Amino acid sequence: MNHTEELEFAYKIRRALDQRSQVLDPAVPARLAAARQSALSHKKESVRAAAPVLASGAHGATSSFRLNRSWLQRLGIAAPILAGLVLFVSLYQYEQQNHINAIADLDAAVLADELPLSAYADHGFNAFLAKRGD
Amino acid sequence: MATDKELSDFLEEVERRAFKQALYAVRKQESALDVVQDAMMKLAASYGDRPPAELPLLFQRILQNTIRDYFRREKVRNVWVSLFSSHSRGDDNSEEFDLLDTYVPEESSGAGSSADKIERAQTLALIEAEVQKLPGRQREAFLMRYWQELDIAETAIAMGCSEGSVKTHCSRATHALAHALKAKGISL
Repeated sequence: MNHTEELEFAYKIRRALDQRSQVLDPAVPARLAAARQSALSHKKESVRAAAPVLASGAHGATSSFRLNRSWLQRLGIAAPILAGLVLFVSLYQYEQQNHINAIADLDAAVLADELPLSAYADHGFNAFLAKRGD
Repeated sequence: MATDKELSDFLEEVERRAFKQALYAVRKQESALDVVQDAMMKLAASYGDRPPAELPLLFQRILQNTIRDYFRREKVRNVWVSLFSSHSRGDDNSEEFDLLDTYVPEESSGAGSSADKIERAQTLALIEAEVQKLPGRQREAFLMRYWQELDIAETAIAMGCSEGSVKTHCSRATHALAHALKAKGISL
């Protein structure tokens, strides 16, 4: 069966299916019609609401309001993000400053001490200090 | 954007075919009607603002997804039923469903009904039964491509597969149908 014969056969099947789809249980067409009506009544409410606005001629003020509203909506999303970002940067700066101060205090204490820096690297000396602390 | 009338006309045009498509898949009239109703509702509620030209593909995608959802729900339901009932096993004869059992003969228009008419109706029922016997994916591809008149690319999108797979499914379905009908002595 070549491609043309396949197509021809498929369209014959299609005709048969079309004829069969006209032979339905009597309750089925009524159910389908009810389903259709129900579906139409559920059509997107926003579509119904938007349609008269678009259809009306004087839509300048409305469209400018919608434009403003969209900017307000965008700002409403952007403002909390921006505030969060500022807060995060401030906290980071504050923590960095604290860390620098702590290191500076430590450095000052070490430099003011009489002991050489190499003593602190000696494990034996650390053990001696710990024992003396006890 | 589709108007109410355009949407209504579209649904009216496709509802019988959609019902049959669902019936071939789920094999129960009530379930098929529920599937079609769900698909119509989803189309209207979520895509009622789309242009009329986009509706056929959208509806097919929704219909196929609704059929798959039905099978998922059935699978879950069957698990629970089999857990709580030991009698249900063996009673489910869905595999042995025969369209001829539910065949509703055409109303005869008076005394003029002929043997030819009955024979033709029986042939159509046999063709439909053979379509129903096709493997699921082949049937989906065949019906969307040749009955719903979607092109290959649209069918591929609706089925979530490649265009090559659609061609293969369609070709296999056509050959399988031709072979089965020939075996039954039906020539188209």
